[in-house]
Amino acid sequence: MSLRSQMLKGILEGCILSIIHHQPAYGYEISVILQEYGLENISEGSIYPILLRLQREHLIIGEMRKSESGPKRKYYQLTEDGHEALREFFLQWEAIKNPVDNIVHQGGYDV
Amino acid sequence: MNAKTLIDLNNKKRPLLNEANLAYYENMLIYIRSASNKSEEQTEELLLELLEHLLQAQSEGKNAIDIFGSNPKAYCDELIQELPKEKQKPRLLFVAQISFQTIGFLSLIYGVIGLTKYYFFQIGTVVTSFYPATTFVILVCYLIILFLFIKTVFWWLKQSTFAGRQTNKWIEFIQAWLGVSVFISLFVVIMRLTPKFGPVMQIPTVLLIGFSLILYLIAYLIKRKGQ
Repeated sequence: MSLRSQMLKGILEGCILSIIHHQPAYGYEISVILQEYGLENISEGSIYPILLRLQREHLIIGEMRKSESGPKRKYYQLTEDGHEALREFFLQWEAIKNPVDNIVHQGGYDV
Repeated sequence: MNAKTLIDLNNKKRPLLNEANLAYYENMLIYIRSASNKSEEQTEELLLELLEHLLQAQSEGKNAIDIFGSNPKAYCDELIQELPKEKQKPRLLFVAQISFQTIGFLSLIYGVIGLTKYYFFQIGTVVTSFYPATTFVILVCYLIILFLFIKTVFWWLKQSTFAGRQTNKWIEFIQAWLGVSVFISLFVVIMRLTPKFGPVMQIPTVLLIGFSLILYLIAYLIKRKGQ
């Protein structure tokens, strides 16, 4: 896998953890929220491998529940480990986002 | 929810997809289901989740390629890689259930044929004689072949799903026909070639039928336990 897509995956993982932290959500909801925040280039399907991995690592758990609109859906919520992973992601992201932004802009690249 | 409920739900909802989305989704479904030793329940939960997503997207005018990309095989491989393995217990229960059913079936066939021959055509006696050691070897071989056959069918389904070529129904039919013929011939060959050894045992043929019913009952109980 290319470095670029690995980086993207890591960031997406952090975003998904944040969304679920805010409130338990199902797959479709998560993809809608990602898009609402402007991550429109990410294909909707790409969240599912990530959701599976987060479940396998016990950072989130999924539970089939009846949704308000009717059909049974799989709602995800954070586990204890998930909270910890989100905290770590947050700290790393905080530490990295401004320096990276500055470096990229200072290099004269701006669109 | 167990796997069976999820499969039922999936069957009920799938027809709501339009033609193009259904074709795309069903390929994914066959491919992901035929991935061996993955947790069945997790697999079905994922499949239903993908279906719900696609249905919702369809109602907003999007199609499967928009959602899952133009390379479904790579996408499915990625999903399969992340799916958890099936636990040992359900797998063993499944193997035990199939084994009991198969032996029960063979026993029933032998019993019915033996009794029919005797009562309707006056051939043979009401007693069946057999070599327990030989029978055991044959049954073990049968079960091994049966599981190899199941594996092969899954492999064949998996590799033909996204083959991309226009599949010719006739070629597929002949392939399947040849496969099944080889499988059946193996059964006959093993029965003929296994040497008879060890002591001979004689039991009333009707006992074979009783025996098969007991095996079926055990298989049924195992199946219930597994659910």
